[in-house]
Amino acid sequence: MSAAFSREKRSAGWILSAPLLLLLAGLLIWPLYLGIKTSLMHDVLSDFDTYYTGLENYKNLISEPNFWNSIRFTLIFAIVATLVELVLGFLLAILFDRIFPGKRILFSLMLVPIMIAPSLLAVMFRLILNENIGVIPGILNKFGLSYAIFDQGNIFTSLIILDVISYTAFTFLLSYSALQNMSQEIYEAAAIDGATTLQILVRVTLPILRPALAIIFLLRFLDSIRTFDSIYILTGGGPGTTTQTVGIYIYKTAFIFGDFGLAAAAAIVLVMLLAPFMPSIIRQFNLGTEPNK
Amino acid sequence: MRRKWGVTAVVTVIVTFFLIPLIGAFYTSMRTDAAIASGPFVWEFDSDWTHYRNALGAAGYDFPSFFRNSVVISLGTVFLTILVSFPASYAIVRLGFGGPWILRLALALRITPAIFFVIPFYKLFTVFQLIDRPLALILANSFINMTLAILVFAGAIREMPLEIEEAAAVDGASIWMTLRRIVFPLLGPALAAVGVLTFLFSWSDYLFAVVLTSSEATPVTVGAANFVTSYGVRWGDISAAVCLSVLPPLVFATAAQKYLVKGLSSGAVKG
Repeated sequence: MSAAFSREKRSAGWILSAPLLLLLAGLLIWPLYLGIKTSLMHDVLSDFDTYYTGLENYKNLISEPNFWNSIRFTLIFAIVATLVELVLGFLLAILFDRIFPGKRILFSLMLVPIMIAPSLLAVMFRLILNENIGVIPGILNKFGLSYAIFDQGNIFTSLIILDVISYTAFTFLLSYSALQNMSQEIYEAAAIDGATTLQILVRVTLPILRPALAIIFLLRFLDSIRTFDSIYILTGGGPGTTTQTVGIYIYKTAFIFGDFGLAAAAAIVLVMLLAPFMPSIIRQFNLGTEPNK
Repeated sequence: MRRKWGVTAVVTVIVTFFLIPLIGAFYTSMRTDAAIASGPFVWEFDSDWTHYRNALGAAGYDFPSFFRNSVVISLGTVFLTILVSFPASYAIVRLGFGGPWILRLALALRITPAIFFVIPFYKLFTVFQLIDRPLALILANSFINMTLAILVFAGAIREMPLEIEEAAAVDGASIWMTLRRIVFPLLGPALAAVGVLTFLFSWSDYLFAVVLTSSEATPVTVGAANFVTSYGVRWGDISAAVCLSVLPPLVFATAAQKYLVKGLSSGAVKG
């Protein structure tokens, strides 16, 4: 290609990317600076004075058990929720991977939870589980059962159920897409060799889909680390701080207790804890979206 | 054939389980206050949508303004996200702009929890006096959704046959003309996918809304949650408000289901 064309290419590249570069400058670089700066300052709502304190916030954070407890709770919650959702979504995808009456409408209905904001789903969840007017306690009562969602012993299960209702549609959809990409010939060959349905599932389907399932797990796991809305609306992180995710810890530290410096430090430590895994995660996701050579 | 109806029955039961919250909320919203108060199985339905009319303004709640805010924020986010990520994706994939670094940055940002940006954004928008203005949420949501949009666009542009653009260049078309006349129309499905996903995700945002708004720019997600705390026992009205709140994304995403599926799977798992 001519030199003139490649010059046009270069200037066009800058012009086309200008909106993105502006957004990155305004909403990434500047806020990054503000975040780091805040984390190094005494910045408390109740005190009009803000001043540099060096690494004071970080020191306080490291010795703050609530922060580490929230990290532990977030990890446990994310692992359990993701595993349940992946298994359910995959099994459901296998059920859907055949022709049956009403498949189209049921498929559409199954995707509905994706379209409902998790916060709104949490409000609905409170509604149907309310012990006075809720449908679920009503049904359970008829069978002489009861289930108190906010009980110390039940709260974790309640939160997992809510998350599963919210996100299984997502793992289902991705598993289903992965199943659709498998060639029919493999099944036919296995069937000719006399393999049973279960054998095909365990020996053929699962090994082939393992990379796809690993990515679905990773995606959902990374997303559930940020869980905030539904748990905040349902429990506010309580009872006490037992269901406090890192997100809720940071939010409450800044906007309820008014310590912006400590909260900013917590956000930075959170990303630093994730940072070592980033390069390998990015490699995992390398979706063939690298630019043309 | 009988076995196939068996699959239908099993799937129906499972799907119903996932829809219980929605069904429950709709059920409550259609019943009279007296029926709601006397337990979940008193069948007495409200024939003239009282709870819906209350939610939509008859009872003096702020819900109509929450609803308007959600519409403005979501549509604004869709527009800004596409404006920012569509041309840039073309520059990255076809013009080699920024090498592989912009895509890697987009992936890294997609992995970074949104909570990381909450305090910096709060500080930034305080400086610009954008707190409690829809623009703050449009900017924040566009920033968060831009990464997925770039990944979807970059994937779609790569799949486009290069020959068409080359032929246009041979015929003397400038990059701009090629972009407007050829690339833009060809990427219709990717634009639809990004549009529906961005609409869905910005309508669903709660975290930025709870931090960056206080009353004037509050969207339905925060509005509905606050509703429960402020009007605790008006279950019928709350249910109606929640059902109304999920309606626009539900209708939009169901109508564009094909693109939703495509966007979610191409932005997530591939290769």
